[in-house]
Amino acid sequence: MEGRGPWYRAYRRLRSNRLAIAALGLFAAILLFVLAAPLWADLVAESGPNETHTTAKIEVDGESREVVSPDGTPIGPVWLGAGGRFLLGADGRLGRDEMVRLMHGGRTSLTIGLGATLVTTLLALALALLAGYFRGWTDGLISRALDVVWAFPVMLLGIALGTALAISGIQIGPLTISSGSTWLPLLVIGFVLVPYMARPLRGEVLALREREFVEAAVAQGSGPLRVMLGELLPNLLPTAIVLATLNVVNAMMLEAGLSFLGAGVQEPDSSWGSMIADGVEVLATAPLLTILPGTMILLTVLSVNVFGDGLRDAINPRSKVRLEAHTGSYEPERGAA
Amino acid sequence: MRKLGAVLAAVGLVATLGLASCGESDSGAKEGGTLKVNFAYFPDYLDPQLSQTVEAWSSMYNTYIPLLTYAHAEGEAGSEVVPGLAEDLPTISEDGKTYELTLRKGLKYSDGTPVRASDFKATVERMFELDSGGSTFFTEIVGAERFAETKKGGIPGIETNDRTGEITIELTRPSGTFVNELAMLYTAPLPADTPAKNLSADPPPATGPYEIVESNPERNWAYDRNPQWERNNAELLPDLPDGHVDRIEAEVVSNPSIQVDDVESGKTDWMFDPVPPDRVAPVSQQYEGTQYKLEPSINTYFFWMNTAKPPFDDLAVRQAVNHAIEPAAVERIYAGTMNPGQQILPEGMPGYEEYALYPYDLEKAKALVEQADPSDRSVTVWSDNFSPNDEIGAYVQDQLEKIGFDAKLKLLGAPYFSVIGNTSTPDLDIGWANWLQDYPHPNDFFEPMLHGDSIAPTSNGNFAQIDDSKLNAKIDRLGAQQLSPEIEGEYAQLDREFMEQAPWAPLGSREMSLFVSSDVDMDEVIWNPTFWGDFTSFQFK
Repeated sequence: MEGRGPWYRAYRRLRSNRLAIAALGLFAAILLFVLAAPLWADLVAESGPNETHTTAKIEVDGESREVVSPDGTPIGPVWLGAGGRFLLGADGRLGRDEMVRLMHGGRTSLTIGLGATLVTTLLALALALLAGYFRGWTDGLISRALDVVWAFPVMLLGIALGTALAISGIQIGPLTISSGSTWLPLLVIGFVLVPYMARPLRGEVLALREREFVEAAVAQGSGPLRVMLGELLPNLLPTAIVLATLNVVNAMMLEAGLSFLGAGVQEPDSSWGSMIADGVEVLATAPLLTILPGTMILLTVLSVNVFGDGLRDAINPRSKVRLEAHTGSYEPERGAA
Repeated sequence: MRKLGAVLAAVGLVATLGLASCGESDSGAKEGGTLKVNFAYFPDYLDPQLSQTVEAWSSMYNTYIPLLTYAHAEGEAGSEVVPGLAEDLPTISEDGKTYELTLRKGLKYSDGTPVRASDFKATVERMFELDSGGSTFFTEIVGAERFAETKKGGIPGIETNDRTGEITIELTRPSGTFVNELAMLYTAPLPADTPAKNLSADPPPATGPYEIVESNPERNWAYDRNPQWERNNAELLPDLPDGHVDRIEAEVVSNPSIQVDDVESGKTDWMFDPVPPDRVAPVSQQYEGTQYKLEPSINTYFFWMNTAKPPFDDLAVRQAVNHAIEPAAVERIYAGTMNPGQQILPEGMPGYEEYALYPYDLEKAKALVEQADPSDRSVTVWSDNFSPNDEIGAYVQDQLEKIGFDAKLKLLGAPYFSVIGNTSTPDLDIGWANWLQDYPHPNDFFEPMLHGDSIAPTSNGNFAQIDDSKLNAKIDRLGAQQLSPEIEGEYAQLDREFMEQAPWAPLGSREMSLFVSSDVDMDEVIWNPTFWGDFTSFQFK
C-alpha cells in the first residue's frame, strides 16, 4: 500500500467488498438487458415497443390465438410458445409486446436516472464552487435560490414542472425541446434534485477554502477559476461521486413516481414507472404487468444503492457523508472523527 | 316553531293518508337518504349559463329549470321538449321568427325571491356578458350579436312583462332548432341581479327540486332539497319529479378504477363516468342486470383533421386516415362499448343512415399517402389522458406511422379541450374528440362543429376548421326548417357530403354504463339520452 495513491487504495477497498461487487454485477446485468432491447425487438419479437397489435393473431404452440380478445382482454405470457414473441404477453388492449416494452422502458428509466444525475452533478458542482469560493453575496444569492427550490416537496415540484411543460415543451432561444421528449423529465428531475447535492458540496468547499493548499495557490497568483478547477474540484470529486451514485437512485425513483402520476414519460413511450401506472388498472386480472416493472425498479435501485454504499465506504472509510434516507437529502456528518 | 309546525303537519298528513310504512314507496324502495356520487372531473362550470359538459348538465338538470326542458324519461321519450318554467310550449308566428311564452305564476327561487319574466331577459344577457360558449346558439335573437360585441343596451329582441309573465322573443330568421335550444341550460332563469361572473364556487339559487348548497371546485359539491320546491314550485310544476333522496353528495375521484372499487364496496352509490374498459369484463360478469347495465347515448367519437394546413389540407391524406382505422381495433380498445361507424350522425339521431365510404384497408391508405406525397409528414396526434382516449390516441399515432407519417402523441389532462379549441395552439394537426347530443336535432352535429362560422380563435368547436361555402349554405338552409322525413333525408345526404370531404375520421358511437351500489334500486334509475342519470330517479332499496 505504501506509495499508492488514494484512488488505488479506494479501488482495493471496493474490490474487497463482495456485496458491493455483487451489486455492481447485478446492475451490469440489468444494463445488458436493457441495451439488448433493439436486438430483441428486431430479431425475436419482430415488433417495436410502441407497435400495436390490437387485432393481430399469433401461433402459440401451433394454436392460433388473438393478441387481444374482442372484449379487450390482452393475451397473457406465452413464454416461448410463439418463438419469443409476446414472451410476457401483451400490455393491454393495444396489444403491444410487454417484453419489448419492459426492455425499452428500462432504457428510458436508466437514461433518465443517469442523465438527470449528470445534470444535477454538473449544476451542483458549479454552484457549490461559486458559493463556497466567493462566499459573501454570491453565496447568499445561490444559497437562497437553492432554498427556494428546496422549499417545495420534490415530487410536487416535479409534477408542477412536468405538467406545465407537457403542453408546450421548452423553448429558450435556439433550445427547443418538444413536449413528449424524454429530455423533459430528464431535465426536470435533474433540476429539482440540485439542492440535495449542491448544499453538502458547498459546505465541503467552504471547509476546503480555508485549507493551506488553497492559500498557497492564491499566494502564487492563481486566479479564482484556476483555484476552483485546479485545487478545489479535485478534492471535491470523491464526495461528488458518492453523492452522484446515490442520486441515481433518487432520480430513478422520482422518474417512476412522476411517470406513474402522468407527469414524466409520456405515452406511447414507456418507462418502468409508466408501465406500473398502466398495470395498476388491471392489477387484479394481470398482476404481472405491474410486478415486472416494479421488480426491475427494485433490483436496479437495490443494486445502485448497495454499490453506492460500497463506493462511499471505499472512497471515504470514515464515512464522513451519510445518506439521510428518510428525507432523501444528503448532509455531511457533523463532528465525525 | 316553523320547523315544529311543519313536522306536526307532516305527521298529521301521513296519519291521514294512512301510509303503512313511513319513508317507503309502493315498490318498497325507501324515500330519503344521502346519495353519494363519484365524478372523474369537477364539472366545467356549476353555473347554468356557462356549462357545456355532460357532467355539468347532469349536475344541474334538476337544479336550474329552463322555460322549456326535456322530459324526465328514457330513450326517445327523454328527448321530448316539455314545458319547464313556461306554462306551455311556445306559440310560433307564421313566419317562424316570433316566439311567445308565458312564465308560470308564483314560482320562487330557493332563496325565496320570486321568479319574474324579466329574469329570462337578464339571464340571456348574462350569458352573452360572460362570453359563454352557449351564446352561439342564441345569436339569431334580434340584437343579440350587437349586444355580444358591445355588452351594452340590452337585447331588444326579448320583451318581457313581469305582471303577466309574457315573454316574446324575436329572431332574425326562422329556426328549426330554437325550441330545443330554449330547453338547454344556458337560458335557465336566474335572479336578474345575478352577477355576470362565474359562480361555480357559489352557485346561484335554484328553481328545481334540489339546490346546490356546497361547492368546492375541483373537489366536491352537494345538494339539499330546495325548500321552495315543496312550498311553491312542486305544485306549479307537476310534470317534474320531486326526487327521492334528501341529499346528494358529489365528489371528484379522478381514477375511474377507484370509482369502480368505491361502488363495489358501497362507499359510493353511483359512478357517473362509464366503467373504464379495463374493468368492463369483470364488472359486467359480476353485476350485469343487478347493479350494472349499458345505456344508450347519442354521440359520435371521432378524430378531427385540421383541413387548414398540411398535410391534412389534402383530401387524399384525410381519406387515407379513414382507411387506416380498423373498426375491430376500435371496438377492442373501447372494450366492446363502441359501436363502430363512419358517419357524422350517430344512430338514434334523426337523419342517421348507415354507410361506410372508407372500409379498413391499410395498403390503400399507404398508397393514398404515397400518391399525395404531402410536404409535411410530421404530425401531432392530440388526445386526453383519460382511458381509453389515451389508448385510442396511441393507436391512431401508430396507424399514422404505419402509413408513412412521423407521428407524435400529445396527451393532455383536464385542459384538453381549451387547448385544442384555441386555434393559435401550435401543431394542431389531428386529434380525438367526441360530441354528445345537446338536443335531438341533426343540426346539433353540423352547425357547431362543421360550419365555417363556428371557427373561432378561442372556444373553437370546428376543430377540423372546415369552411366549405356550399356545405355551410346547406347547414343554414336545413337548420331553418322544422324536421320532417324529407329534411331528415337531406341531413343524411349532408352527412355523406361531409364525409366525402373527410374532415373527420369517425370512430363510432359509444354506449355508456350505469353502475350503482347494491343499495340503489337500479331498475328505477332513469337514463336520459342528454342528461344521463337523472338524480331525481335514484332511490335506495
